[in-house]
Amino acid sequence: MTQVDQRPPVESEARESLDGLDTGGSGASVSVSDVLDRLWRFFISMRTGLVLILVLGLFSLIGTLVQQAPAEILTDPAAYQSWLNSVRPKFGGWTSIFNALGFFSIFSSILFKGITVLLTTSILACSVNRAPRLWKVAFHPRTRMGETFFTHAALKANVLVPSDPDATMEQVREVLRSNRYRTIIDPEDGGLNLYADRFRWGPFGTVIAHLSFVIILLGMFISATTGFNESQFTATVGQKKEVGHGTGLSIEAKSFSDTYNPDGSPKDYSADLVLYKDGVKVDRKVVQVNHPLTWDGVTIYQAFFGVSAMMKAKDAAGKTLFDGSVPLVWSTKDGQHSVGQFNLPNKGMSVFVIGTASGKTDPNIKAGQMQLEISQEGKEQPIATEVVSQGKPATIDGVTYTFERTRQFTGLIVARDPGANVVWVGSTLLVIGTFMVFFFPHRRVWVRIRKTAGGSEILCASTMKRDVAFEPKFHQLVTDIQLASTPSSTTSSSTTSSTITTKSSTTQEVGQNDAT
Amino acid sequence: MLLKLSLYSLFASITLIVLALVCYILVLTLGRSARRQQVNARVAHPSAKAAGGRTTTSVLEQPVETAGPTALAFTATRLSQLAFVFLTASLVFRAFETGRGPFGNQYEFAAAFAWGMIGAYIYFEHRYHVRTLALVILPLTAAMLIYALSVGDIANPLPPALQNSLLLTIHVLVAILAYGAFSVSFAAAGLYLIQPAEGRKGFPKPALLDQIGYRAVIIGFPLLTLVVVLGAVWAQIAWGRYWSWDPKETASLLTWLIYGAYLHARVARGWVGRRASWLLILGFAAVMFTFFGNLFFTGLHSYA
Repeated sequence: MTQVDQRPPVESEARESLDGLDTGGSGASVSVSDVLDRLWRFFISMRTGLVLILVLGLFSLIGTLVQQAPAEILTDPAAYQSWLNSVRPKFGGWTSIFNALGFFSIFSSILFKGITVLLTTSILACSVNRAPRLWKVAFHPRTRMGETFFTHAALKANVLVPSDPDATMEQVREVLRSNRYRTIIDPEDGGLNLYADRFRWGPFGTVIAHLSFVIILLGMFISATTGFNESQFTATVGQKKEVGHGTGLSIEAKSFSDTYNPDGSPKDYSADLVLYKDGVKVDRKVVQVNHPLTWDGVTIYQAFFGVSAMMKAKDAAGKTLFDGSVPLVWSTKDGQHSVGQFNLPNKGMSVFVIGTASGKTDPNIKAGQMQLEISQEGKEQPIATEVVSQGKPATIDGVTYTFERTRQFTGLIVARDPGANVVWVGSTLLVIGTFMVFFFPHRRVWVRIRKTAGGSEILCASTMKRDVAFEPKFHQLVTDIQLASTPSSTTSSSTTSSTITTKSSTTQEVGQNDAT
Repeated sequence: MLLKLSLYSLFASITLIVLALVCYILVLTLGRSARRQQVNARVAHPSAKAAGGRTTTSVLEQPVETAGPTALAFTATRLSQLAFVFLTASLVFRAFETGRGPFGNQYEFAAAFAWGMIGAYIYFEHRYHVRTLALVILPLTAAMLIYALSVGDIANPLPPALQNSLLLTIHVLVAILAYGAFSVSFAAAGLYLIQPAEGRKGFPKPALLDQIGYRAVIIGFPLLTLVVVLGAVWAQIAWGRYWSWDPKETASLLTWLIYGAYLHARVARGWVGRRASWLLILGFAAVMFTFFGNLFFTGLHSYA
C-alpha cells in the first residue's frame, strides 16, 4: 500500500520520544533465544496493543448483535436452557452454534477474559517501558539540538534581526515567557541555545489514561467477586423484609405510588421506604428512579412494582403455616396473568398464586379472586388447582388457604458494590488522562541564535508530531519573536532589515517508532 | 406556539442546508477550471505592520479552494452558518417549551446530532478552509433532520429513568459534540479514500485530510470517553449498576475502542494513511450503529 504520510527520515533528534506510551522499543539487538525478552517485546509492541483493542471491539460487536443471557441465569443450567429455548425462534439454527461459541454470554467467556488480561499486560508493559522516557523529556529535556534539526524539523523558521545575539536571546526568551512557556538557556555554545516548552506534564496523561483503564478493570473484577446485587427485591407495602447478605438491614415500604401522564406513559414511581438496622430505624426516604437511598455502603434503587397477594395458610389443627405477602413478580408468556409463589416447607408444598395482570380480564379469575396451584416441591404438575375469593377460606388437600387482600409491592434493587468506587477513581483518571493528552499536548520549541553581519539570525524549530493544532501557534510565536526583536522605529519603514521564513511540512512523523 | 416556531426553524434549516450544498457543489465544479491557473505560494512574508494578525501561510491554514467563484463560496459558507443558527434556534425554542435540554426523545436526539455535525463542520471549515467536507457532512445533516421529522416532533414527558436533568443535559450534549467531531473525521477519511495516493485535482490534499481526520478524533475521543463515563455514572444512579452490557452501552464501548484503535494505529508502522482512514469509516459506522441501535435491539436505552 502507498503511504502518503511517510516523510523522509530526519535526524533522530527530531523524533526523539515525544509523548505517548505507544512508541516502545529501544531497537537494541537481542538474543532470539531469550523468551522473556521476546515476550516483553511482544507486549510493548504497538501492533500487539492495536490488535488486542480491535479483537476486544469484535467481542463488543458480537455482544451487541447477539442478545445476551441475563447474568443471573448463567449459573443455573435449567434457567439457562429455558432462556435458550426462548430465544431459539429468533436465532433459529444459529442458536446452538452461538451457544457452543459462547456468544450468548460473551463477556463472561474465558476468551474475552483472556483478551482482557493480555491487554492489561500490554498496557502495564508499555507504561513501564515508556515512563522513564516521558520523565526524561519532561524534566531533563534536551536543550540543544544539532544543526540538521533546524533544517529538517517539521516546523521551522529563520528570522533575521538587527540586534546582537545576547539581546536577541533575551527578547526571544521574553516572548516565549509571555506566552507561558518555560525557557531554559543552554550554557554551552556561549548560551545561544534555548529550549522552551509548555504543558510538559501533558504526556503523563497517556500513562494516567492507560493505567486508569487497568484500574477500571480491577474495579469491575471487585464488583464481580465481592458485594451483592439483589435485583429482584420486593417489598410489599406495610411489610418489613430482611435484606440479608450479613447487612442486618430490613426494609419496610410505607407506601408506593405510580403516577402516569395523560397519555398513559409512566411519570413517576416512588416508594416511601424505612430502613432498619438490627431492628432499629436508621433512615427513611422516598425512593424514586434516579433517587436511590444509600446507607452504610448499601444502596436501594426503585426498579419495578406490582401487586402482592396477602395469603394465609393453616393446617387442619389450625396451626399457621404461612402468613404474609406473595408478590406476583412473574408474568405469563401471553402477558395475561401475574404469578407469585410461596412454599410450605413443613408440608413440602409449593403454591403458585395466579392473578390477572393489570388491565387484563379473565372470566375464570375475576376481580377479587386468585387462582392457587398447589404442587409438591420440585414437581411441575400441580396436584390441585382452585380459584379462591378474597376473604373466603378454601381447604385444599388438608390445608386451609385464605386470600385476604391485595397490596402493592415495590420492586427494588438492593446492592452493595465496593468495586464501584474503584471504577469511579479509574473513570475520573481516564477522563483526566485523555483530556491531558489531547488538550494539553507537550509543546516544545528549540531556538538557536547566530551572529550575523547585520545583527543576529534566529533559528526556531519544533516537532509537531500528533499535535496538528500547534502549527499555527508556532508561526504566531515566530511572528511575535520577529516583532519583539525588531526596533519599533524601523518597523514600518524597513521591513527588509528583518526577514522571516517559515516553513512547515504537512506530513507527520509517524510510523517510525514501532517496537518491532 | 414555541414548538411550532421550533419546527419552522428546523424546516428553514433544512432548506438552507440544501441551498448551501448546491452552492458548495457549484464551487467545486466551477472552481476546478480556475484552480488550474492558480499558483500556490507556500512561503509567506508577513509584513511587520500586521502586528497581531496572523499572516503566515501554512498548509493547514491555506485555502484549498481559492480563486474562482469566491462569492459563491462565501455564500455557501454563510448559508451553512445560517442553517446552523436556525437549527440552534429550533433546539432552543424546544428547550424553552419543554423546560429541559432538547435531548429527550429520538426526534430531539436526531436534531441535536444534526446540530453537532453542522456545528463541527463550520468549525473545521473555519479552521482549515476545506469546503469539500461539506459534500459529505451536509447531506448527512439533512438526512438526519429528515429522519427527525419522520419520527415526529411530539414532545412527550420524560420517562422516569430520564428524569435527571443535569446528567441528561451533559451526557447527551457531550455525545452530540463528540459525534459531530466524528462526522468530520468520517468526511475527511471518505475524501481521503476516494483519492489516489498522490491526490486528485479539485480535492483537498490527502495529507491535509489525514490531519483533519486526526484533529477531529483528538477532539471527539476525550469527549466520547466522558460520555461513556457519565453514562456509567447515570446507570449506577438509575439502574443500580454502572455497567450492564446493555446493547447501547456495548455499542458505545465498541465506538470508543475503534477510535482508540485509530489513535494507536497512527503510531503503528503500516497503519497510517489508508488503513487509519478505514478505521475512521468504521468508527463512524459504529457511531451510527450506536445512535440507531434501538431500531435493531432492545435494552435499557429503549427510549433513545
